[in-house]
Amino acid sequence: MKNAKLKRTVALLLATLLLLALAACANPAETAEPGAAEDGSGETYDARVALCLLGPANDGAWSSYAYNAVMSMQEQYNIDVKYTENVKPTDMEAVFTDYASQGFDLIIGHSFSFGDAALAVAEQYPDVSFAIIDGSVSADNVASYNMKTQEQGYIIGVMAAAMTESGVVGAVPGQEGPAIIKVAEAFKLGVEAQNPEVEALTTYTGSFDDAARSREAAQAMIDEGADFIMGCANQANAGMIRACQDAGIYCTGELEQQPLAEDTVVMCTLTDVEKLVGIAVEEVLNDSFTGGVHEYGFADGVLSFTGYGALEEEIPQEVKDLVEETIQKITDGEIEVPRIEEITAD
Amino acid sequence: MQEFLTIGFLTTFLSAAVRTGMPLVCAAVGEDTSEKAGIINVGLEAVMIAGAFSGFVAAFLTNSLALGFLCGMAGGVAVSLLHAFLAVYLRQDQNVSGVALNLLVTGITSYLYLLIVNRYGMPQVETLPALPIPGLCRIPVLGEALFNRDLVTYLLYVVIAALVFFYRRTAWGMSLCAVGENPRAADTVGLPVYRIQYLAAAFNGLMAGLGGAYLILGQLGVFYENITAGRGYIALAVVVFGRRRPLGILLAALFFGAADALQFRLQALGVALPTQLFTSLPYILTVLSLLLVAKRNTDPAWLGKPYVRSRR
Repeated sequence: MKNAKLKRTVALLLATLLLLALAACANPAETAEPGAAEDGSGETYDARVALCLLGPANDGAWSSYAYNAVMSMQEQYNIDVKYTENVKPTDMEAVFTDYASQGFDLIIGHSFSFGDAALAVAEQYPDVSFAIIDGSVSADNVASYNMKTQEQGYIIGVMAAAMTESGVVGAVPGQEGPAIIKVAEAFKLGVEAQNPEVEALTTYTGSFDDAARSREAAQAMIDEGADFIMGCANQANAGMIRACQDAGIYCTGELEQQPLAEDTVVMCTLTDVEKLVGIAVEEVLNDSFTGGVHEYGFADGVLSFTGYGALEEEIPQEVKDLVEETIQKITDGEIEVPRIEEITAD
Repeated sequence: MQEFLTIGFLTTFLSAAVRTGMPLVCAAVGEDTSEKAGIINVGLEAVMIAGAFSGFVAAFLTNSLALGFLCGMAGGVAVSLLHAFLAVYLRQDQNVSGVALNLLVTGITSYLYLLIVNRYGMPQVETLPALPIPGLCRIPVLGEALFNRDLVTYLLYVVIAALVFFYRRTAWGMSLCAVGENPRAADTVGLPVYRIQYLAAAFNGLMAGLGGAYLILGQLGVFYENITAGRGYIALAVVVFGRRRPLGILLAALFFGAADALQFRLQALGVALPTQLFTSLPYILTVLSLLLVAKRNTDPAWLGKPYVRSRR
C-alpha cells in the first residue's frame, strides 16, 4: 500500500513537472516591446523590422547579439521593432508569413536554417525584404548576410607560416560544413602565400562539443611535428589548447579563449554579429537593400582579432607587423581571400 | 605511406589509443557490473557527465584533484542510484528512465555550469600529471603507451584484474551474476536481490563517474555543456562488443580509442579520403562490431526486467 501511494505521489510530481516544462516552452511567444505602438495606431515609422530567433533572446550569445542589434537600431532610428523567439523549423514559414502580411518592411531570420522559409514566403511578398544572417540563400528580395571569416583563417595562416620553426603547421576545425571549411581552406592559402615550403595540415574532428577529440587531433599533428595550430571548433578548442600547452607550442582560439592558456594562445578571432545585423537594418532604411549573398569582413569592422595578451613580448615584431600589414591589405582590398567551401587535399 | 611503420608513429598512436580508451573503460566496466545484476542503465551518459561536472566543480573550488575525483565519483553514484531507485523500487521501464536521466542531467549540468561561469568567469583546473613507472615505461612502443600514464589509468588496470578475479573466483561474483540471470532462484537461496542490485548500480555510478571526472581532471582541465559528447553511449556498445568480460571490455575500448587515434593521424598525414569518412569511422566500427557479436547473445537472462518478489 505504501508503495502504491509513493508511486502515485511520484507520478503526480512528474506530471506537474512535465506540465510546467510544457508551459515554459509552449508556442513561440510573440513579444511586443513595451512602448512600441501597434500597427494601425496612427504612428508612422521609417521602417518596420521583425526579428525571428531560433533560441531565447537572452541566451547571452548568438540570439542576443541580434536582439541587441535591433534594439539599438530602434534607439537610433524611427523604426518599429517586433521579435519572435524560439521559432521551430516547422513554424518558420508561418511566422514569416504572419509578419509579411502585417506589412513589415524587413524580416530577419537569424540563422541559416531560416533560409528555405524565407525563399518560400518571399515569392508571395515581393515588397518585403528578407535578411538571413549567416545564410546561403538569395532571391530578388532575399539577402544572406555572411561574415568573411575566411579572412581570419588567411591571416592566421600567414602568421603561422611566419612563426613556425619546424615547417609544419596545422588547423583543427570542428564539424565539416561550408562555414568552417572556408576558414580552414583560407588558412592553407595564407600559409602557402607566406611560405610555400611550410606544410599545412588540417584535421576535422566532426564535433564542436568534443574537446577530447579536438585534443587528440591536435596531438596527432604535434606528433607530426606541427608547432603552430589554428583552432576553429568553437568550445571544443579547449582540448586543442591543452595539447598545445603541454607540447609548448603556439595556437590561436576563438572569442574569449585566451585566458585558457595565456602562454599558448597568441590571439583569438572576434566576430561582431551585432554589427552585421545592424548593417542589414541600415540597408533597408537607406534603400540600398538588394537580394544576394553579401559578405562582410575586416573592411566593414565585422571581423577583428584580440590582442596578443601575455605573449605581447614573445611574438617577434616582424610577425606583428606582418599581421598588421596583411589585415591592412585585406581591408584595402589588395588581397581578396576566396571563399572555398569544398575541402581540398592537403 | 611508409610513415605508418616507424616506431615513433606506433608509439604515439598507441598512446593516443590508450588515452582515448580509458574513459570508456571506466564507464563500460561499471555498466557491465550493473547489467550483470540485471539493471541496464542507458543513462550512462548522464552518469558520466554528472561525474565530469561534480568532479570539475569540486576540483576547481577546493584546488584538490583528489577531492575532485572523489566528488566526481559521488556525483556518478547519485545519478546511478536514482536510476536504480526508479528501476528496482518503482519498477519503471529501465530504458525510459535511462533516457530521461540523460536529458535531465545534461540540462542540469549545463545550467549549473552557466551559474559558475557567471560567478567565476571561465574556470579551469590543473590536470593529473603523468607518472611513468620506472623500468616498464622503457619497453619499446608498449612501455610509453601503457606505463607512462597517470594514477587513474594504473588504478584501472588493477580494477580490471580485480574484476576478472571477482567474477571467476569469488562467491560474491557468482551471486551478482545469479541476480541478473535468475533473481527468483537467487532470492530462493537467500541472496538479498535488491541490495545486490543497488550495490551493482552504485559501483556503476562510481566507475562511470570516475570516467567522466577523468576526462576532465585527467585530460582536459575545463568543463562545458555536453563535454562528454556521447561517450556514455559508446561505452554501452563497448560492453556488448567486449562480450561482458572485463578483459574483453578493456580491449574493445582500446579498439575504439585506436580507431579514433588512427583517423586523426590519417587526416594529419593528408590521406586523400573524405573527412566525413574519417570522423564517422569510430561510429561505423561501433555498428559493425555490434553486428559481429549480434548472434552470440551474452545478455543476462533477466536484463532490464524488474524483479517482483511477491509475484510468480
